[in-house]
Amino acid sequence: MAQDVLNALTLGSLYLLFALGMSLAWGTIGILNFAHGSIFVFAAFSAHLLVQEVSLPLPAVLAVGVLVGAVLSLLVQVLAFEPIQRRATDHRKAEMQILVGGIGIAIIPLAVAQYATRSVPFGYSASSFRVSTWDWGFARVSNVQLVTLVAAFGLAGVIGWWLRAARPGLALRAIGVDAEVASMMGVDRRRLALLTMAVAGGLAGLAGVLLTYYLGSIAPETGDAFLLKAFAAIILGGVGSIAGVVLGAMVLAGIETLVLVTTSGTWAPAIAFGVIFVMLLVRPNGLLGRQEVRRT
Amino acid sequence: MNSWYFSHLVLIQSTFISFLLALSIQVPLRAGVFSFAGVGSYAIGAYAAAILTIRAQVAPVLAIGAGILVAAVAGWLLALLVARLSGLYLGMATISFALFLGVLATNGGELTGGATGLYGAISTLTTTHVVVVSVLVALLLAASERGAYGRRVDAVREDPHLAVSLGIDVTRVRRRVFVVSGALGACAGGMNSLLRTTVSPETVGFHLVVTALTMIIVGGALSWAGAAIGAVVFTWLPSVLQFVGEWQLVVYGVVVAAAAVWVPGGLLGLVQDRWHRWQVRRRRIPAEGATAPVADVPADAEQQLAALGGPAAEARP
Repeated sequence: MAQDVLNALTLGSLYLLFALGMSLAWGTIGILNFAHGSIFVFAAFSAHLLVQEVSLPLPAVLAVGVLVGAVLSLLVQVLAFEPIQRRATDHRKAEMQILVGGIGIAIIPLAVAQYATRSVPFGYSASSFRVSTWDWGFARVSNVQLVTLVAAFGLAGVIGWWLRAARPGLALRAIGVDAEVASMMGVDRRRLALLTMAVAGGLAGLAGVLLTYYLGSIAPETGDAFLLKAFAAIILGGVGSIAGVVLGAMVLAGIETLVLVTTSGTWAPAIAFGVIFVMLLVRPNGLLGRQEVRRT
Repeated sequence: MNSWYFSHLVLIQSTFISFLLALSIQVPLRAGVFSFAGVGSYAIGAYAAAILTIRAQVAPVLAIGAGILVAAVAGWLLALLVARLSGLYLGMATISFALFLGVLATNGGELTGGATGLYGAISTLTTTHVVVVSVLVALLLAASERGAYGRRVDAVREDPHLAVSLGIDVTRVRRRVFVVSGALGACAGGMNSLLRTTVSPETVGFHLVVTALTMIIVGGALSWAGAAIGAVVFTWLPSVLQFVGEWQLVVYGVVVAAAAVWVPGGLLGLVQDRWHRWQVRRRRIPAEGATAPVADVPADAEQQLAALGGPAAEARP
């Protein structure tokens, strides 16, 4: 029982790291990045390539993942999303173009990783870091699990505090409420958007590396599944709410673990879809989301 | 010609089926409804046709027709459920509906054949039937894009509030769009499983959503012709791209991303734009050569204005 709870918390933390940046970007600068899953996989894959050459310790591998994720995310923003937002005539069309553009871009790094690995799962067996497990009597905990839990909750806390208390955080939230009024108040939208996308990509890279350590190896196709689960977590908690993402990721992981433990597990993939559908019908703003004000 | 036809039969068939599937997303998109329910209907149609053909050995018309009926009803019910949603939220809800059906098929046990799916759905459906149905559908949609009805749908897409104030029943248009999308998707799915004689849960995944969407975006989302262009391009692209070998998928991704960023109207939009510009220029050229009557320009507009009792020049800011 305690073991199941711990596993659910670890899975939830991985969902959280992945979904945090997506939720931040969607809730503030209005970008729903469909290439997020692809960035996540490619960051983990780049770290794998480097580890094959040089035997690196854990912090270095994590740093490589974060860096690759952030750079890829920035590239996507500069090369695709910025031109779309600049050219689009209205908000709805821009939203859809960003979605399709993200889907298109997502294919590219995924194809490169699939080509290089021949779709065989890859891992960090060459890394100098060894996964070790402690038996605490009621549950067995690995060092990767501890790192994941601390990283996820710590980063969610830091980002939540930054959004609430720091001036740039306030500016970012202002963009989320009304982008035009925010820029009239002297908010540099472009710089904040780039910062948000870099943070989102870095978090995705971190999640990718940690997931690979946790599972031992991942296949390039993992990104798509994570993308849909992150949607479920975000919509469950409420778009743009940091506490909401934390709650959403943990609840989703909890339900999934429960279903996996109590049934044969073939229904587990349906949970995310069921959660998205039911939440959108019953409470489209999520459990902790703010009420959307519509003036039209 | 004949040998070419037989060696490319599978590609020709899948072009028409992709066309119908793409239409099942293009029709709602044209009315401004961002729905992927057509992919779910594809699953409904594919399984209904396969089950009826294998268990009851009914004629293909009945097997596909039953799937279309079920999917149309499902589309109508879904439209009632998601009436409050719009934009990305609607997209997400309908994607999860479609993918949920895929999981349902995996867990269907005897009826759907579980993870391995169903096989041996042999019927009398031929390529000619598929082509006839596709042409018929295209004609009907082309008719619906013209005249008063077409303009009404345009109004619903461009500005739903304005459309309501013009007396257009927006909710009804949206519901109708869901039903048509369901029928089209089920038709594509049913014909696909009868032509291939198999269906499995892998047929309905996220990749199907991506394929259908990319066809419309690259082809052009505002007309059935865009879906046709997209279906042709993406069905034949892999065989054209053989020279790039392993990098096919990369080229595919670049094409989709570039289309989304620079050509939001799709290939059809690009062609229409060029055609329109050419028409404008053609109309202008003879006008330059002709001696058009030039109205007398008043020598001093200011004086005339003053004579008429208009405001004097000094009074203006």
